[in-house]
Amino acid sequence: MIPEDPEELHVLAGEYVLGVLEPDAAREVEASLATHELLRRAVTFWEEHLASLSSLAARIEPPAHLWDLIAARVGPMPAPAAPGFWNSLSLWRWSTAAAAAIAAVLALYIAVVPPSPAPTFVAVLHAPQKDQAAWVATAGRSGLLIHAVAGGAAPNDRAFELWAIAPGATKPQSLGVIPADGRLALGALPAAVRDGGVLAISIEPLGGSPTGQPTGPVVFAGTLVATN
Amino acid sequence: MDEKISTLSSTRELVEAVKHGSRAALKRLYELESPRLYGIALRIVRRPEVAADALQEAFVQIWRNAGSFSAERGDASAWLTGIVRYRALDAARKLRREVLSDDPTLGDRPEEPDIVEQIDNKVTAGALSRCVGLLDDSQKRCVVLAFVDGLSHAEIAGRLQAPLGTVKSWIRRGLISLRSCLQA
Repeated sequence: MIPEDPEELHVLAGEYVLGVLEPDAAREVEASLATHELLRRAVTFWEEHLASLSSLAARIEPPAHLWDLIAARVGPMPAPAAPGFWNSLSLWRWSTAAAAAIAAVLALYIAVVPPSPAPTFVAVLHAPQKDQAAWVATAGRSGLLIHAVAGGAAPNDRAFELWAIAPGATKPQSLGVIPADGRLALGALPAAVRDGGVLAISIEPLGGSPTGQPTGPVVFAGTLVATN
Repeated sequence: MDEKISTLSSTRELVEAVKHGSRAALKRLYELESPRLYGIALRIVRRPEVAADALQEAFVQIWRNAGSFSAERGDASAWLTGIVRYRALDAARKLRREVLSDDPTLGDRPEEPDIVEQIDNKVTAGALSRCVGLLDDSQKRCVVLAFVDGLSHAEIAGRLQAPLGTVKSWIRRGLISLRSCLQA
């Protein structure tokens, strides 16, 4: 029972906020919050007044990857569809809403807090069926930079080659072989790098595809998102 | 642009922006607040991966429930603190039902040092610091062990080697005297 006496009500609310109530009693308070306005106000009273006690806990940096996990879970946006190359390599399966959301967050963030010079496009590349970012690409007037978030080395005696597919295009354009350190910078912005385009990475012989088109499996892909 | 960034540096403004669906604001909020909130969660659950899970759940909840943050609340930081604490308390209750080991090979942090003595230095917010100062030592210690370390009545009794009924009454009288001081 939630007590009627104001002092008892405040003791109960205080015990709830402190977290010392037995599970059953805590659930009863929780269930009553929506309808019991005095109880709700009493709980808010304690939350606001006691909050500054938490400054007794030391500030500690959370694990570095935690934000990515959160970003992947908040407000997924629909992934733009692209015909042609998409379909032929079944890339469409890969572009999860979550990865598009990560790129969108990155784009918004860069729009608010621009590094110098501000990139015009960003893409987060990930492996099939995985939401975790594997490569991050930024592109702007000064060119394109892509780097591995973790483990950018290709399998033995093979190389990663980067491709761009313009929106609506059927054939990918090679942007070059990614060096073994997992980082590739291009001085100029390829024409295929546009909003809604796709960046993809395939496994090729050392030195790159002999045919000018991907010959090995495409192992990472992501959609380009404009930052403004 | 500068105006936009400076607007986005206050917790309250950021929560309002998150309320309107801004992911950039949520990210900024995370950058500004996560060390504080992770420290709060870790102190309660004492195991880094559990604290990280609690913080993750809390931020997803902040994103989904920002609409319920109302203007009648004075303090957006306190609202965030509440969300993280309740997530961490849930996790701690689950964890401690299973095991409370202090085993460093499990990544457990050893029992935290007592921080009651730091109140005067660290809790400087006017009314609370003045009113906590009026509590007797046992009451003060109980309130801190519950709020900051997330201990239950029984766990506090164990830690202070005092009877359960005595601990309950310390907390009860502590709350009554805090409230009358805070409302004065």
